[in-house]
Amino acid sequence: MDYLFQQLLNALAFGAEYSLVALGLAVVFSIMGLVNFAHGEIIGVSAYSVFLAAALGLTSPLVAVLLAVGAAALAAVAFERVAFRPVRYAPTTTGLLTAFGVSIVVQNLFMLLISPKPQSVSILNGLNQMWFFGPFAVSSLQVLELVVAALAIVGLVLFLNRSTLGLAIRAASRDFATVRLMGIRANRVIATAFAISGALAGIAAVFIIARRGSVTPDLGFGLVLKAFVACVIGGFGSLAGAAVGGMLLGFIEVGLLVALPQQYGGFKEALTYGIIVALLLYRPEGLLGRRAELGDKEA
Amino acid sequence: MAHMEISASTSTAVATPSGPAKPVLRSLLGGLVTALPVLAIGLLILAFAPAYYTHLALAAFVNLIVVVGLQVFMGNGNIANLGHSAFVGIGAYGVAVLATPPAMKKLSIPDAPFGLADIALDPLTAALCALLAVGVVAAASGKVISRLSGVAATIVSLALLIIVHSVFLNWTDLFKGNQAFFGIPKVVGLPGIMAAAVVVIVLARLFKDSRWGLQLRASAQSPQAAAAVGVDAKRLRLVAWILSALICGLAGILYAYFAGTISPKLFYFQQIFMTLAMLILGGMATVTGAVTGVIVLSVGLEFIRSIESGVSIGGIQLPQLLGLSGVALGVVIVLSMAFRPSGICGRHELDEQLARFFRRAR
Repeated sequence: MDYLFQQLLNALAFGAEYSLVALGLAVVFSIMGLVNFAHGEIIGVSAYSVFLAAALGLTSPLVAVLLAVGAAALAAVAFERVAFRPVRYAPTTTGLLTAFGVSIVVQNLFMLLISPKPQSVSILNGLNQMWFFGPFAVSSLQVLELVVAALAIVGLVLFLNRSTLGLAIRAASRDFATVRLMGIRANRVIATAFAISGALAGIAAVFIIARRGSVTPDLGFGLVLKAFVACVIGGFGSLAGAAVGGMLLGFIEVGLLVALPQQYGGFKEALTYGIIVALLLYRPEGLLGRRAELGDKEA
Repeated sequence: MAHMEISASTSTAVATPSGPAKPVLRSLLGGLVTALPVLAIGLLILAFAPAYYTHLALAAFVNLIVVVGLQVFMGNGNIANLGHSAFVGIGAYGVAVLATPPAMKKLSIPDAPFGLADIALDPLTAALCALLAVGVVAAASGKVISRLSGVAATIVSLALLIIVHSVFLNWTDLFKGNQAFFGIPKVVGLPGIMAAAVVVIVLARLFKDSRWGLQLRASAQSPQAAAAVGVDAKRLRLVAWILSALICGLAGILYAYFAGTISPKLFYFQQIFMTLAMLILGGMATVTGAVTGVIVLSVGLEFIRSIESGVSIGGIQLPQLLGLSGVALGVVIVLSMAFRPSGICGRHELDEQLARFFRRAR
C-alpha cells in the first residue's frame, strides 16, 4: 500500500513536470505554429542564471525562485525577438529547424562559457525534504511540484479566459489574421505567449534544480523531447491535450518502472516511446487533437 | 506551387538543346555530373594527401552518404527527419554483430543470444543482412510516420532515434552497451566508399526525378491539390522513408567496415546535428545541395576543430574551446533558415544550373 502510494505520487509529480513543459510548447505552437526545440534551453538559461547568482553570493531561495522564473520568461522573449521573428511567416519545417539550431547554439554556449561538466547548485535543496503524514513519508518536492503545477495551470486558464490579452491569444490560435484586423498587435500577442511559455519552463527549472542539485548544458533537452511526445499524444497545439499528455506520460513511465524487472529497467525509455508510437497508430491526430479534414486550414 | 511549375519548365528546357533525350537517361547523367566534384576530391586525396587526411575524407564520405539519404526523405517529402542516425546505427551494429570473427566476439559479446557469438558471415552477406534489418525497421516505423502530418512525424522520428539508441545501450549481451564494439573486419577503403557515394548520389537523383519523386514533391507543396489528382502521399512518404533509411544504413555499414570500432554515441544527436546542418546549408531541395553542404561544412568544421583544441597564434596559446564547433553548426542552421532557407543551391541541380549558364553564354 505504502509502495503503491509512493509510486502514484511519483507518477503525478513526473506527470506534472511534463505537463508544465508541454503546456509551454503548446502555447507557442498553437499561436504561431512554431515547434520550439529551444524550449529546453530556456530551462537551461533559467538554471544557469540561478547557478551564476548563487556563485555571486545569492543566498535567499525565494529570490532564486523568482530569478529562475523571470530569467526563463526573459530568455523566451529574447529567443523570439532574435531568432524566431525572421522565420515567423515561414513554413513549419523552417521554424522547427531554426529552433533546433538555436537549441544547439545555446547548449554549446553553456559548454563553451561555463563548463561541459555538471555544476553544483545547492541553493534550492531546502525544497527537497521528507514530510510525514501519519504512516506516509512523502517528498516535499513532489507534493510542491504537483500543487504548483496545478496552480500554474489554473492561473493560465484564468488568464486565457478572463483577460483581453488572453482572449487575443486564444483567438490568435484560431485565426491570427483576423486578430490583427481587430487592432491587436501581433508582436504583443506573440511576446506574451513566449513569456508565458518561458515562465512555465522557469517553474519546471526550479524543481529540476532542487531535485538534481546541479546544472548541466543538456539539462532541459531530454525533458523537452519528452514534453514533445506528451504534446503529440495529446494532440499537437491543444493546451488541454498537452496537460493530459504530460500526465499520461508520467503514468506510463512510472508504470513501466514498477512493472519491469530490475535488470530490464534500462529499457524503460525505449518501451515508453514504443507505447506512444503504438498509440499514434491508433489515433494519428492525438487523443484530444482535431482531425484535419481536407480543405481545412492546413496544420 | 509556383516552384513546381518553374522547375518543371526549366527541366524540359534543359532537354531541348540536346534533342529529345530519355528522362531517365537525363537524370542519370545529371546525377553523375553532381557526383563529379565528389569523385574529383576523392581522387585528389587518394593521390596526394597524407594518411591523416585520408581518414578525414573517409569520415566525410560517410557523412555525405548519410546526408544524401536524409535528402531523399526531407527534400522530397518536406518533413524534418531527426531520426536518421538510428538507421546508420542499425547498419553499423548489424555488420558488427554478424561479421566480427568469433574469436573477437568471445572477448566482447560472449553471451550473445541466438548463438550469434559463434558465427561470422562474410562481409558482403553480413552487409546484406544488416540492410535487411534496416529495411524491416524502416518499414515498421515508416508505417507510423507516413500516416502523420509534419510535426508529429518529426517527433516520432526522434522517438525512433531514442528507442534505437536505448536498445544499443541496454541490450549489452548483443551490442556491448556503452562500450566500444571492436574487431569488425576493416574491408572498405576510400575507393570503395567513393564508389558507394557516387552510386548513392545517382540513386537519390533518379528517385527525385522519378514519377514517385515528382508526385511526392508535389504533395509536399500542396497536399490537397496532389490528393485531388490521385496522388497517394502516404504510400510515397513510406517509399521515400525506406529508401532514405537504406541509404543511411549503407553509410553505417561502410563506416563500421572502415573504422573497425563503433560505439552508440556515434549514432546519436551529434551526428544528427552535423548532417542536418550540412543538408540545410547546401539546400535540401536538391541532391546537389546535399553534396555542397557536406563539402563546405566538412572543410569548415575541420578548421574550427583545430581552433577548438587550442591553438597558438603568434606565440599566444589559446585555451581549449569545447563546444565551438557545436555553436558553429547551430549558427549555420539558424542563419541559413533566416536568410536563405533554400540553402546555397536553391532549387536547381548542378547540371540544370550548368545548362542554364551555357545557354545564356551562347
